[in-house]
Amino acid sequence: MRRRTVIPLIGSALIAVLTLAGCAPSKPAAAADSSTAAQGSGPTAGSGPAAGSSSPVAGGSADTLTIATTSDVVNYNPLVGNSRTDYWITNLMYPHLLSIDAAGNKEPSLATKWGYTDPKTGFYDIRSDFTWSDGTPLTADDVAYTLNAVKKDKPAGTLYGQLTNFVKATAVSPTRVEVALSEPDSTVIAEIGFWGNIVPEHIFSKAGSVATFANDKDWVGAGPYTLTSVAKGQSYTMKRVDSYPLVDGGTPRPAAIVYRVYPDVNTEILALRNGDVDMIANALPPTQVKTLQGTEGIKVEEVPGLGYAHMTYNMKQKDLAKLPVRQALAATVDYDAIRNVVLQGQAVSTGSSPIMPVLKDWYDPSLKEYAYDPDQARKLLTDAGYTSDSNGQFPLKFRLIYSLQDAVTSQWVNLVKDGAAKAGITIDLQGLERNTYLAKTNEGDFDIYAGNFAIMDDPATNMALTYLPGGAINYSYVDDPKLNELISKSRTTTDRAEQKTLLRQAAKLVHDNVYDNIMYTQNLYVAFSDKWSGFIVKPSELLSIVDPVSLAAATTTG
Amino acid sequence: MSLFTFVLRKIGRALLTIFFAVTVTFLLLRLLPGDPAQAVANPNMTAEMRATLLTQYGLDQSLLTQYGKYLWQLLHGNLGVSFAQGVPVTTVLMERLPWTLLLTGSALILTALIGIPLGVLAASRRGGWLDRAVQILGVIGQSLFVPSVGILLLYVFGLKLGWFSIGGAYADGTYGAQWYLSVLSHLVLPCLSLVLIQLGPYLLMMRSSMIDALGEDYCTLARANGLPYRRVLWRHALRNALLPTITLIGLQLGFLVGGAVLTETVYAYPGIGRGIYEAVTQLDFPVLQGAFVLLAATVVVANMITDLAYGLLDPRVKNR
Repeated sequence: MRRRTVIPLIGSALIAVLTLAGCAPSKPAAAADSSTAAQGSGPTAGSGPAAGSSSPVAGGSADTLTIATTSDVVNYNPLVGNSRTDYWITNLMYPHLLSIDAAGNKEPSLATKWGYTDPKTGFYDIRSDFTWSDGTPLTADDVAYTLNAVKKDKPAGTLYGQLTNFVKATAVSPTRVEVALSEPDSTVIAEIGFWGNIVPEHIFSKAGSVATFANDKDWVGAGPYTLTSVAKGQSYTMKRVDSYPLVDGGTPRPAAIVYRVYPDVNTEILALRNGDVDMIANALPPTQVKTLQGTEGIKVEEVPGLGYAHMTYNMKQKDLAKLPVRQALAATVDYDAIRNVVLQGQAVSTGSSPIMPVLKDWYDPSLKEYAYDPDQARKLLTDAGYTSDSNGQFPLKFRLIYSLQDAVTSQWVNLVKDGAAKAGITIDLQGLERNTYLAKTNEGDFDIYAGNFAIMDDPATNMALTYLPGGAINYSYVDDPKLNELISKSRTTTDRAEQKTLLRQAAKLVHDNVYDNIMYTQNLYVAFSDKWSGFIVKPSELLSIVDPVSLAAATTTG
Repeated sequence: MSLFTFVLRKIGRALLTIFFAVTVTFLLLRLLPGDPAQAVANPNMTAEMRATLLTQYGLDQSLLTQYGKYLWQLLHGNLGVSFAQGVPVTTVLMERLPWTLLLTGSALILTALIGIPLGVLAASRRGGWLDRAVQILGVIGQSLFVPSVGILLLYVFGLKLGWFSIGGAYADGTYGAQWYLSVLSHLVLPCLSLVLIQLGPYLLMMRSSMIDALGEDYCTLARANGLPYRRVLWRHALRNALLPTITLIGLQLGFLVGGAVLTETVYAYPGIGRGIYEAVTQLDFPVLQGAFVLLAATVVVANMITDLAYGLLDPRVKNR
């Protein structure tokens, strides 16, 4: 092949590749309507940000806040989406009735008041100043529609799981919704309010089933930002709306929020240090916290955890069905070492109780953490009739499963194994890929389960899921009539003092019988550029400083 | 064998290979542990919700029924609907395909542009420092692991030197010429990673086939006839030595696609590779099936073109 033909050929190939990749996005017009948002889709569709209501408005700024996340949006429908990024992005568009404060108490958001008119009827009074981004007012009809549609269509999101005793919602006025329940349930109104996003009836009802509606273009929201363009695998650009009543001044401050996708938190940290992003939405790994706290230009904020890490002992296994064996196992765990070494001191003890200290109104400080005492564990086993061999080994061997994607748990399970070995108990560690781990957990194919719950915001609801027979996350397969009665009663009483007493008694039963071994609540840390300030901290990784009100209140320090 | 029969036979083999890939992919995905309902829905999902989702996905039907339906859809050009995203798989893939083509296309061209001349030069200076350096580079290149190279390049050129952005395919808020520059700038590190891991086989193959060609009688004769060495090297020896390298390009396409999955994941590059990674974590069977069919078809078609080109370049091939 002659050289003079090779060079043009290569040039043509390069040009062809670039041409194939499509055209560059054109600069957006200055003041297009945010409701005419377009979904960009890689280079072929012109993925530059489409125009939203980005013109300067009173109280706002022209700045863009860029946030790193580790995954794409899977589903734009907030009634279906379950990933963290789904939650963070759809939360900025679809309001919740209730929010939560640092002590885990529900607080007003779209709803100003909530409660019960009788044991089987709940209500929400909602604000009258919310509008959807296409100008349609948000009314009680939207709230009633959302709840009824979720009950009917059963979408895969979290909200449907909260509707067990829900029968029907009715908009009795433009600002009041009444909820009929099948039986008295004192938790359902707060839980629906906290977990459920409200969607626009005039958009979602046209789509048929809310369980299958992709909602992947022409977004209409009532949060502080509306999604205006998507470059799948790369970024999600959201433009502020003109009016958002929950932020001081009524206008979100950053003109735009851009979520950028990175493969993992370590790359996110590189991007933050490099100045590519202003904030990391994901909680930092414990080992990175101190480094970033000492890095110039970066601030690290502590976020209270609202969940816990735990081990459950499968009580269908004959040895684990015996209390002394569970007590012995609980005594072989060096809880302080786990919190201080693996979590670098970034965790607090719950006193081995399923009600964490962060839930100040419910927590029972009289419950004390299981003591680390391998000798006591040996004594418990000997007293229970187990005999150790000449090497000090008891005939007890358990298989502990954990997710390999969970870096923290993957570390502390080794300490658990070593601790058990000191008491003569053998633990085989089985680290699993996440989907296999979920499948084995669901099938009860384990002796000991190690894992985390991210948000355990309501003790009565969570204890029902965790400890009642048939509960979706009852991984220990506990079925204690006394515990069942306490939890069931706590879910029906609307007397808060009585509920507190019942839940504390239930927590004590769980503690004393080692139905669950709660290890710690991890305090979370998020990092952001010191060019930004004004964030509002909410508990849990889902809310942290990326809650809609927090992002809408953020300002540049310069 | 006539050219027509030769081409028909190659197309038939390609279709059979794609059918085999489709079937194996379909079955392998269903052997994965866990179920898509669990991967998509929240962990507190009730048994009733799980059953509803499995029915919605068609996974409650027998394997044979699912396979039959899938093949029927495929024959109609329908790749199905994503379990997780609820949108057509074609949409999901077409959003990402251009970026993968850009990355793999650039990497393939650059690898050939660097690998072929370097291999030729190494062979022509056999035993010299360049030859030794090429051999070392070739062996090292074959031993490199994409994520390690990626993280190293990101750390050095992204964080320490600050020459390139960390992740993505372009900078947000860029338009026109600036956007093209941004795309090129974001392409450098992922492309370099792929070139580094792909270069080894090209270097070694080109070097060895050139050494063989230079030892052939026709090269000796050409030199004896007084032709300049450069002319013998680039005109006579290279032409024949290129044939195995052309085969290699076809074979390496499969590795390139595999490398792209890892590269796109490390660099958060928004191509099909990263899409596959996400679909695996979500057990999104339709997206995975669609992506593998697309990639298998790309590799098979590229190999078919290589075979056809080979047949045209060397008439002995089509008579075998």
